[in-house]
Amino acid sequence: MSTVSGPVPVTGAAGDAAGTADAAVPGGPGGAGGGAAAGTAGGAVPAARAADAVTAVRAAGAVRAWLRLLGSELGMIFRRPRNLAVLAVLAAVPVLLGLALRLFTGVDGGGGAGGGELAILGRVTGNALFLAFAALSVLVQFMLPVAVSVVAGDSVAGEAGAGTLRYLLVAPAGRARLLAVKYVGAVVFCLAAVSTVVLSALLTGLALFPVGPVTLLSGATVPFTDGLLRMGLVVLYVAAGMAALAAVSLAISTLTEVAIGAIAATVVLVVAAQVLRAIPQLADLQPYLLTHWWTGFDGVLRDPVAFGDMGRGLLVFAAYTAVAGSVAWARFTGRDVTC
Amino acid sequence: MSQRTMRGRAVRWGVPVAAMAVVAAAVGAGPVIAAVQGDPTLPERTANQLLADAVQAAKSGPKPMSGTLVQTASFGLPGLPDMAGLGGTSPAALLTGSHELKVWYGGADRMRFALPGRMSETDLIVNGGQVWLWESDAEKATRITGDTEAAARPETAAPTAVTPQQLADELLSKPGTAVGVTNTERVADRAAYQLTFAPKDASSLVREVRLALDGETLIPLRVQVYAKSAAEPAFEVGFTSVAFTPPAPGNFTFTPPPGAKVEEKRIDDLTAVAGKRAERAEGIKEEAKIVGEGWTAVAVLPFSEQDLKRQLPPADQELPGGRAPRQDGGQGVGAVVDAVLKSAQPVSGPWGSGRVVRTKLVSALLTDDGRLLVGAVTPEKLTEVAGQK
Repeated sequence: MSTVSGPVPVTGAAGDAAGTADAAVPGGPGGAGGGAAAGTAGGAVPAARAADAVTAVRAAGAVRAWLRLLGSELGMIFRRPRNLAVLAVLAAVPVLLGLALRLFTGVDGGGGAGGGELAILGRVTGNALFLAFAALSVLVQFMLPVAVSVVAGDSVAGEAGAGTLRYLLVAPAGRARLLAVKYVGAVVFCLAAVSTVVLSALLTGLALFPVGPVTLLSGATVPFTDGLLRMGLVVLYVAAGMAALAAVSLAISTLTEVAIGAIAATVVLVVAAQVLRAIPQLADLQPYLLTHWWTGFDGVLRDPVAFGDMGRGLLVFAAYTAVAGSVAWARFTGRDVTC
Repeated sequence: MSQRTMRGRAVRWGVPVAAMAVVAAAVGAGPVIAAVQGDPTLPERTANQLLADAVQAAKSGPKPMSGTLVQTASFGLPGLPDMAGLGGTSPAALLTGSHELKVWYGGADRMRFALPGRMSETDLIVNGGQVWLWESDAEKATRITGDTEAAARPETAAPTAVTPQQLADELLSKPGTAVGVTNTERVADRAAYQLTFAPKDASSLVREVRLALDGETLIPLRVQVYAKSAAEPAFEVGFTSVAFTPPAPGNFTFTPPPGAKVEEKRIDDLTAVAGKRAERAEGIKEEAKIVGEGWTAVAVLPFSEQDLKRQLPPADQELPGGRAPRQDGGQGVGAVVDAVLKSAQPVSGPWGSGRVVRTKLVSALLTDDGRLLVGAVTPEKLTEVAGQK
């Protein structure tokens, strides 16, 4: 069994010496052409200019290589039947929710949906847009996090388990870069999952419920287009929350070679956080829990928009992403990959 | 493994450690930033001057402003079931946890208060003669009509009766209170004065009451009540953010959204309920007797558990373990009473016997001969008063 031990010496690490190889190998035709151009330029102009040009060309090559790697990662995520099935389930829930609300709600506007976070269900029948808010506030609790952990938890551990990680590392991709690509791929999936829910909910809502000016939680009424704009902010906010979970999941994923272990661990963390959140005696703990902030998108439904509260949520997401991301990086760049 | 990789690994793991340190520092940054900025220094004022100026400022009416008020209570009620619920507004819910209220104040007749909950909001909007109460959960807009200005007037009438200086003198002349003033406080990111009132009597459960006044406008920004048994305030209400700029006029306009239930209530109906309560309170006051004065005053009133139970809605008695159904104020209060009574400790002495309930700020003694003694004092003091008859 072969072993790739410790950090693989690639990009940046070895400075100029590795630079030429870096530009030539992953850049494909563009990278090779760039290398030649840099060579001729180096002969004609002063050395400093030449160095600048080389750096620029190398950077361009690196970006291209990076995008290529990202492209193949995204292709892998969005071509995998498992992930497509997850997206299909996410798209189906708003449809079911819409049908249930349409068929089984009384004429009084359906006030009896219960209190708390699901109070919003009662408003769906009044406006199509609220189906999207309702679907998100239901799905963000558990199903979206599960979908995200399936992708992010699998990202590194899955490759390690299947034995493909070794080959990825032998190619001069660089561990940090590979990890970044894995993370960006997971973030794109987060955005796709949230957008899937919202689009499916909007289409269902348009088909089943009236469209018109949107009544905000504060009682003010805004035009439908304004409501759509606010919905866009919600998508970005929830995707940011899911991206923070993806970072946590990625960190767990670097610790193991068993993908299902990483996925399960992330889901267990989410469930544990939700349980902690439900215990009233631990109310002081809530602001530190990632799950607490996921439903914080109700700020856009207020007038004026409660940017302060949502900003705090985004800071929490950023903190989780930074800590988990750096743990993933430290673990992955220093790890022995043995199979 | 070579030493170099070992060192590399140690350096690498330094990054997440540093990231955690940065996050931890950011979480605890408030005090650190305050320490770096140094204490704000406001011109020195004595407690007397400060109070007089504050009363003067209050008389001319507060400036247009907006901000977020947060109320936090931890009275340490024993065995209290959870009523906090997010954004709960029942009276019982206010006894525990933390609550946020957004305030927009454009003048005496233009104001808006919003109580945000998860996916819900309750708003009170006053604009000229129009008063609206909006509850998003029920999609209900209630228009409150009647002479609302008259209802607001009595409060403003009281302070005008005396000059600010007299009022300040009177407030500060109370014996048994140690008054202090500092000019280095910072509340809602504004320099503030802080007045502290501390009872001298050892039997009081209150350590001190702190009142923070904005350094510029002298508007009260925060009130904290500290109990002797805890380092954190037992009760606190104050601004977490405040801006003394006129709020956008859009905040004060309200038209009921289409599809909402619109109700109309006369202010008289609302005040009638309050009046009835006040009457009942008046009745109790006649039977009650106050022993002592100031911080250690103890109220003695006739009391029987059966009477109390009868007045409360019976629903909560069917629930095991005193669990309160959420959201309903009346039942919530019933559950609080139930839980508190269950936690009462039996006591006895030469004065008789009874049960005592102790919280951080208030003690209550239920004697077996049908008296209830309540005060912000130690249970020992209560039993002493119970012995006086």
